[in-house]
Amino acid sequence: MSLIDWATGLHGYLFIGAMLFVLGIIGILSRKNAIGILLGIELVLNAAGINFVAFSKYRTAMVEGQVVTLFIILIAAAEAAVALAIILRFYRLKQTIDAGEANLLRN
Amino acid sequence: MAQTCLWIVLLPLIAFAVVSLFGKRLPRHGDWISVGAIIGSCILSIPVFTALLKHGQIFDSLSYPWISLPIAGGSPYQIVVGILVNNLTAIMLMMVSLCASLIHIFSVGYMHGESRYHLFFSYLSLFSAAMLGLVVSDNLLTFFICWELMGLCSYLLIGFYYQKPEAVNASLKAFMTTRVGDVGLFMGLCGLYAVFGTSNFSQIYEMVQRPEYQGATILGVSALSFIGFMVLMGTIGKSAQFPLHVWLPDAMEGPTPVSALIHAATMVAAGVFLLIRMYPLLQASHGVLEYVAYVGAFTAFFAALLAIVQVDIKKVLAYSTISQLGYMVMGAGVGAFAAAFLHLITHACFKACLFLCSGSVIHSVHTQDMREMGGLRSKMPVTFLTMFIATLAISGLPFFSGFVSKDRILAGALGYSMGVAGHWLIPLLGFSAAGITAFYMFRLIYMTFFGAARDEQKHHHAHEQPFVMVFPLMVLAGLSLAIWFAGPTGIESLDRALSLHWYDRAMTSVQTEMKISAHHGDEHIAHQAHNLALIFSLLLAGGGILFSSLVYLKEKISAEKLKAAFGPIHTLLWNKYYFDDFYIGILVQKVLLSWNWFLAKFDDLFVDRVLVDGWGNATLFVKSVVGKFDDIVIDRMLVDGTADATAAGGFFLRILQTGKVQQYLILTFIALAFVLAWMR
Repeated sequence: MSLIDWATGLHGYLFIGAMLFVLGIIGILSRKNAIGILLGIELVLNAAGINFVAFSKYRTAMVEGQVVTLFIILIAAAEAAVALAIILRFYRLKQTIDAGEANLLRN
Repeated sequence: MAQTCLWIVLLPLIAFAVVSLFGKRLPRHGDWISVGAIIGSCILSIPVFTALLKHGQIFDSLSYPWISLPIAGGSPYQIVVGILVNNLTAIMLMMVSLCASLIHIFSVGYMHGESRYHLFFSYLSLFSAAMLGLVVSDNLLTFFICWELMGLCSYLLIGFYYQKPEAVNASLKAFMTTRVGDVGLFMGLCGLYAVFGTSNFSQIYEMVQRPEYQGATILGVSALSFIGFMVLMGTIGKSAQFPLHVWLPDAMEGPTPVSALIHAATMVAAGVFLLIRMYPLLQASHGVLEYVAYVGAFTAFFAALLAIVQVDIKKVLAYSTISQLGYMVMGAGVGAFAAAFLHLITHACFKACLFLCSGSVIHSVHTQDMREMGGLRSKMPVTFLTMFIATLAISGLPFFSGFVSKDRILAGALGYSMGVAGHWLIPLLGFSAAGITAFYMFRLIYMTFFGAARDEQKHHHAHEQPFVMVFPLMVLAGLSLAIWFAGPTGIESLDRALSLHWYDRAMTSVQTEMKISAHHGDEHIAHQAHNLALIFSLLLAGGGILFSSLVYLKEKISAEKLKAAFGPIHTLLWNKYYFDDFYIGILVQKVLLSWNWFLAKFDDLFVDRVLVDGWGNATLFVKSVVGKFDDIVIDRMLVDGTADATAAGGFFLRILQTGKVQQYLILTFIALAFVLAWMR
């Protein structure tokens, strides 16, 4: 199997999904900025969505995977709205959006 | 009739309960209840006795199941108690209730003004109930219970003047000494239950005739002999026979009516009554009767000797009682059990009379020492006359009751030695005792009532007693006449035509009832013995009286010279053969005290140190081990260890709790990686 075939088949999509997932995780773990972390989460969600679509196309004749992806996009949008609202309130409170500063429940 | 007998026993028992509980608050301290109850018993005894006179034989019984003992794999064993009314019972009931009534009446005068007056009467009532209960018992178990109750009353009444140390010691001595005999009787009772399975007299009379019981053994010895000896032991204790006679003279520390009732007329005779009740068993056992005869004969003789040297009026009578009881025991031993029983009855009457007379004298002159009396004849005529009649009776002169019974016993003893070779000692001792009895009794009369007053002041104050005290004396003196028992003279061959012969008739049917074989087979020997005994006893009694008169009345022979001539013997008698010294000095102090010492050491060294302290030390050791275990294992390792482990775990886990979400996520992924790696 040539590299093109490999890249345009299922494995190419899965590779892209995995890359996105890892990049998202790295973003979540390494960023201090709360918005950065949110972006990482969005990447992870979309990686999952790519996987659903890919499996739906190559492995079954049905469309549940694609429908689930639509749900994911929807939920990601709602999540982003909620998260951004929280971050906004947090900024008002602490004058920063550093996630390490969100330690009010500690002690 | 048995129902009547039940009430005869219950009346004094009720009186005992009432007087001991409420006596202090009752008018006259309740003496009328006690006296009334015993007179009631006496009146109830009369129909029983007259039935005997009328029919010549009576028999009635009542029985109640008392205790039911469960037996594994069988029907439960019943202990049945009850009442047996036969000729012996009727005669005894009459005698006991009559003597007891008269002595109760006498006590009203004698104990007048004493402290604890009501207690005295309650004890007397309890005693009367116990004695009457013993008489009507149809089995040895209730017999034994009443026997012990009488021992208790005896103890209480001897120690009635508990302020006097002598009285306390005497009561203890009486209780302890009779206990030795009682243990024997109790073993006999156990033996009866073991061998026969019952202690009912009538059943035992039946059973001893059967060969299978005659061959029975207990611990390798013949059962019948064993029980017979144990019964004899009970008699020796209660009737103060050699060697357990030492308590009776000391028992004279009690009030005189008590001495008359308990230590002369009734309780001490219970031992003889036991022998007579158990006579068929004694006869069936081999050789016991021989020992009975020797014990009785020896006691009769050696106690009579002791009575000669006594100076205390009551002690003379006490030794005389032992001696006369010896006669009865001897009579039972030689097979003249009807004569022995008759002597029991006649002796009760004249000895009660003698004791009450001595009580009257003591009450009058306030001393018991005969050396301080003398010449009281004119001052106390009724007392003198009644005592003289009783003295004639005990000395065995014709026309008086003692003659009838004593003559028969001596005839029986003589016949026994003529029939069975080698037993010449029994009649010899018996006849000697008869002579000595006449001597010391007249010595008592002469020293007390005749001659010059040895103590002027006491003699001056002496006076005759009130009617309540002399009335019993007169009745008892009347009962000392032969006519009530045999005939006007008491000589059998003369009276045969005249007399009623109620006693002989009653005894014949008793012999049939008890299934006693008349073993003195030869009629000729018996007849010959009777005539010989009559002559001998009359001669000896006359000789004794004559000698006594010479020494103490006419003073032809000096008593002091006699004393000097028989120096060592007098010392021996004065010290009561050293029996008390032997018992106290050797048995109690040497044997019992060293045994005591040994037990004390055993208690101290073994029980206290080894067992008690050892157990304590063992507990201490276990305690220290358990304490260490608790401290180290439970407290330190388990309790503290759990806490420490929890604290250490908390300390370690706290490091992870940074509150940084990203760090948690890293850990999550690391964990996920591990899980995935493991799942592969």
